[in-house]
Amino acid sequence: MTIRTQDKAQLSNEERDILHDVGFDDPSARAATSVLADREMRMALSNDLGVEILPLSEALRTYDFVQDLMFGLVSPDENEHIAMVAEHMHDPLGHFVWVKPGAKVRLPVQCFTLLETPQGRQFTHDVTLIDEGAEVEMISGAAVPGSVHKGRHISISESYMRKGASCSSVTIEHWGAAMDVYSYGYAHLEEGARRRSTAIMMAPLAHHLSRSHTILAADTNAVSQAIVFAPEGTERVIETETHLAGEGARSEDVARMVSVGGRIVNSAMLVGDAAGTNGFLGCDGLKLSDTGEIMAVPSLRARAEGAMLSHEASVGMIDSDKLDYLMATGLDEDTARNLIVTGFLRLDHGAIPAGVRMRVVEMIDQAKSGGM
Amino acid sequence: MLEIRNLTVAIDDVEVLADIDLTLPEGELHVLLGPNGSGKSSLLATILGLPPYRIVAGEILFDGAPIQSLPLEARARLGIGLAYQRPPSLEGVTLRSFAAAIGAEDRLETEAAALDLTAFLGRDMNVGFSGGEIKRWEVLKLVLQDPRLLLFDEPESGVDLEHVIAVGEAIAHAVRSPDREGRTCSGLVITHTGLILNHVKADRAHIMKDGRILHSGDPQALFAHIQTDGYSVPA
Repeated sequence: MTIRTQDKAQLSNEERDILHDVGFDDPSARAATSVLADREMRMALSNDLGVEILPLSEALRTYDFVQDLMFGLVSPDENEHIAMVAEHMHDPLGHFVWVKPGAKVRLPVQCFTLLETPQGRQFTHDVTLIDEGAEVEMISGAAVPGSVHKGRHISISESYMRKGASCSSVTIEHWGAAMDVYSYGYAHLEEGARRRSTAIMMAPLAHHLSRSHTILAADTNAVSQAIVFAPEGTERVIETETHLAGEGARSEDVARMVSVGGRIVNSAMLVGDAAGTNGFLGCDGLKLSDTGEIMAVPSLRARAEGAMLSHEASVGMIDSDKLDYLMATGLDEDTARNLIVTGFLRLDHGAIPAGVRMRVVEMIDQAKSGGM
Repeated sequence: MLEIRNLTVAIDDVEVLADIDLTLPEGELHVLLGPNGSGKSSLLATILGLPPYRIVAGEILFDGAPIQSLPLEARARLGIGLAYQRPPSLEGVTLRSFAAAIGAEDRLETEAAALDLTAFLGRDMNVGFSGGEIKRWEVLKLVLQDPRLLLFDEPESGVDLEHVIAVGEAIAHAVRSPDREGRTCSGLVITHTGLILNHVKADRAHIMKDGRILHSGDPQALFAHIQTDGYSVPA
């Protein structure tokens, strides 16, 4: 049963293949699907009564409240990129996902962005509303065809989780090797909401700034992990700020970073605004070559009595004892290293699709052999 | 199967093993007895080729061929395996993913059950394991690896009494059964407590002290001697 369909042009097989690498599955196997290609929303359809998915421009015309959600968590003049997106989009480009109150959505909701034009400039704004008591799993991804290596993508994402809502999400991106990407994500979890998110940032690109800001109300629980990889020529700057704003809010934010000649800067700030909160930051880095850099800067800020905040950070090379231990079972050095690196990145985490896991292992292999 | 001739080993310039001669025939299980720091673990690590041990003199023959110039993984592939005393922790590498990497997935469940480790298969290797759990896993690791020469570094230390029997039986079974290609195996076991001797029938024992093999003989007789007279040459 299709509830709402916008399918201006079927995706080509090539487009499906590209998206498949970042988690796409046939829309019939998903509760809802949106695909944005260049400057056009190519697909927005739902198979589930509990999920509405629309181009943001249409959602603004359809539902009065959407205009209050858009730029509800971030000011349009927050910085030059956001201002650029805000001013650029008289007819905003992006999706609006609404998981209805109480909906228990059985299949995942998937949302993807494609940049298909070389030297393309893509500015997007997505708004997600997971309403009171709703439960959903989301898969999102971004990709380019092999022919596109230069371009710029700036995205704003605003996510609202109402009281008692629950969401687990996986985000996978695979941009072009010489692209500049700026991602700004804002989230507000209301009382009792629960979120578990995994972001996979693996493919090479010139520069990626990923900035996120999350506010957690009372009795919320947010667990996030970022898997970050930087081969030679890639710079990734990740800035996160999490506010434990309500009593009993809990968060765990872990970044696992691997550099094979690239540069990774991870600045994570955890703020205990309310009493009885508990938060943890983990930043672990693994360097697989003598070049490149990993910088981990976890920060804690307690503003209320009883805010329990902690962090752990480590950056190092592969421990030779671990390598020897595995090679003592007959594994060659490359296989032993891959096992350690994929283990470090927790790639066997259930949230990561098997196809994506294999792709990540291939990327690490290519980067180590200089093939990227 | 294993023959060690006049072996002298150093770490940097410090000699840790001197003039070791040891023959381990095919199908036999030997035990190494000795006080802390006597060089037992160094000997096993040298046989396998682990750093930082450097052979100063002598040779190690496996199936009649010298192996001392072979790298670690090549010796392992020839059929030499070691159950570590203190293995490193491998965060994120589960027992299951390790078994897959060495091509032993199909035997994992059955072999793990014998060592009461079924509940550990999704756990990271050696992370948060108790001393006894580490030893059971090391034995299981070796069983999965299926070597012909099995080296055990104090496999029973830290293992609770309930599981010592399982560990002993697993060692005995692994050494006394042919490998998956039907070839006869041999074993060399370091033991401190001698507890393992109740569960594995050893063919011969060697007393090590100060980096040398002092004496070789019947395991039960030597162990009884050590209990009364310490690590010395029997009269």
